[in-house]
Amino acid sequence: MDLTLLVDYGPALLRGFGVTILCWAAGCAIGLALGFALMLLGRTGLKPLRWAVRAYIEVIRGTPFLIQLFLLYSGGPVIGLRLEATTAGILGLGVYGSAYFAEIFRAGYQAVPKGQVEAALSLGMPYGGILRRVILPGMLVSTLPAIVNMMAILTKETVVLSIITVPELMYEMQTMAAETFATFETILGMALFYWLLVEAVSRLGRRAEARVTRFLTHSSNARA
Amino acid sequence: MKFSVIIDALPHLLGAAVTTVWISLLGVMLGQVIGVLVCVARQSGSRAADMAGGVYVSFFRGVPLLIQLLLIYYMLPLIGIDVPPLVAAIGALSLASGAYVSEIYRGALNGVPHGQSEAALALGFPAPTIWTRILLPQAFRISVPALVNELILLLKASSLISVVGVAELTRTSQTISASNYRPLEIYLAAGLIYLAINGALAAFGALVERRLQQG
Amino acid sequence: MKRAGDTTGRFGTLMRAALLGTAMLAAGAAGAMADTLADIKKAGTINVATEMQFPPFDFLENNEYKGVDRDLFDEVAKELGVKAKYIDLPWTSVLPGLEAKKFDLVIAPVTITKERMKRYAFTVPISEATAAMMKRADDKTINKPEDIAGKNVGGGKGTSQLAQVKEFGATLSPAPTVKEYVDSNQSYADLAAGRVDVSVNSLPNLAFAAAQRKETFAVVLPPFGKPSYFSWVGRPADDDKSLVEAVNAALVKIQKDGRLATIQKKWFGLSAELPTTVPEPQL
Repeated sequence: MDLTLLVDYGPALLRGFGVTILCWAAGCAIGLALGFALMLLGRTGLKPLRWAVRAYIEVIRGTPFLIQLFLLYSGGPVIGLRLEATTAGILGLGVYGSAYFAEIFRAGYQAVPKGQVEAALSLGMPYGGILRRVILPGMLVSTLPAIVNMMAILTKETVVLSIITVPELMYEMQTMAAETFATFETILGMALFYWLLVEAVSRLGRRAEARVTRFLTHSSNARA
Repeated sequence: MKFSVIIDALPHLLGAAVTTVWISLLGVMLGQVIGVLVCVARQSGSRAADMAGGVYVSFFRGVPLLIQLLLIYYMLPLIGIDVPPLVAAIGALSLASGAYVSEIYRGALNGVPHGQSEAALALGFPAPTIWTRILLPQAFRISVPALVNELILLLKASSLISVVGVAELTRTSQTISASNYRPLEIYLAAGLIYLAINGALAAFGALVERRLQQG
Repeated sequence: MKRAGDTTGRFGTLMRAALLGTAMLAAGAAGAMADTLADIKKAGTINVATEMQFPPFDFLENNEYKGVDRDLFDEVAKELGVKAKYIDLPWTSVLPGLEAKKFDLVIAPVTITKERMKRYAFTVPISEATAAMMKRADDKTINKPEDIAGKNVGGGKGTSQLAQVKEFGATLSPAPTVKEYVDSNQSYADLAAGRVDVSVNSLPNLAFAAAQRKETFAVVLPPFGKPSYFSWVGRPADDDKSLVEAVNAALVKIQKDGRLATIQKKWFGLSAELPTTVPEPQL
């Protein structure tokens, strides 16, 4: 075992780690926004729209990210869609995540007690206000752990981007492995970096959870 | 695009899909058991159990499944423990799935009003009864969509077990496209097979969800 | 109290067992008993692994393992007097599996480099690996290697062919842009999609790919690189020395009696002589 390799390749690995975080963060942002929009679209009265949303979610959830990314990146040019690798990676990640986030939001929306929404309606609150002041806070409590879970899962889906030459962490790790044939060092290095990332995400998530719950207890006390 | 290559490859792809399905189902069932046990242990009030559960979740959620498989299959032999490929594959899948499932239940328990378990305690229910009759059934109902999500994710993550030498659907499609140089057609076919399997799973999940909402 | 005593007792036994185990391992390593070749002969089977996604060297056709490595190793196993068992693994786990002794030899074609030699033992060459280029069949702008000036080139990470095209490209003006792939099959997909204008690999690989998809790919001749070779990979430990030597002796014999030429003609359409010693790494 020659751990100095991780030092020799340190700059490249850190650069790759940076690209991984960038792709992940951008992918999550797109995924969350798109997922929320999908959830709202799925609740509209328009039946074809609801079906289209359902089909989108099932197709995206139902197929592996590797295959989606490959079809987007290598199949895209066949129909005239030519994306640069990193763009394709971020977009692919966002689309992939959006289907899962939409499902999480849907469950969260349903978990908000109907009485609260009805109460707000009877008070004459507009729908936008109900969404912002009643539904969203309620959703946040029950869905935050699932959202963090999903964000943690997406950190690891980023490794797939290496296949289409996005210079992220896995790509740099593979370079090290290919040039030196250092196998166990590579495995340990990957374990360490991805664990760090997920641990950071979970901790931030836990903090956010604590905050949201505290806010809610606080306001319910105030009500009492 | 040349669709005849899909027809030639189909028997092999379907055979591999069977491997994908049974290994994932076994992994997810064991993962459910592990997940519930870990979740209950962490909420039991024992600090040691909470910490042990925390380390478990942190590791199996934090380290990519690919690495877990490599560690179990290739690094355990270095310290004298040899694991057969299928055991390594199913073991890694269920341990990873257990970590996610325990977190899903933890989140769902937040959604069960505290008053309920307090009331049950006041009525003198023993703790195991509170868990099995009050908390877990409700947590399960809240988390059905998340659990179906998790099942589908696991089915797709199972593509990684090829690193221990188990040829499942993704690996088989890569192998076929490497020899006929037609990845687009083969990946499209593999994607459709995944879609069919997961469509069936999602339909099943929706059925369970509806059932539970009626009850 | 009793419980605490118990635990210590059990822990003590465990420690003793562990120490004993370590001692036995050490004895095993030091003794002359451990020899991979002897173990293989005793078992009557040699386990070898490769990634079966590298035609024409290694590939699966209707679930049957085929290719240059298969034909060649069938002969090597005959020479060793054992049966060969072939294992298909993704490249990520081929070398870890070798180290964990899940099998005895890697029969994937690999280029010898100085860095790699520090960790593994290499056999004598099993094939030529001279670098060449492949283009889209309908691309009229590339007719010789020099025509890649200013174009996009794709190749596999860490391969000698990639290193050579970088060196070659630096002599051109404007220099081509080189894109590195984790998986050489993906570089073919990008060639078809038009993201790169040529894919670099060994001539045998490219000739096979172009023959499979004539309407899409064509090889750019002549090959541009220096002569280089593929070898197989073994463990560098003392226990494995006799195995690697026996495989080398078998390979040399197979070349001398003409069996190698037959295999080469079958897969490449022509035969070429290979060095009978392990070449000095150029990278």
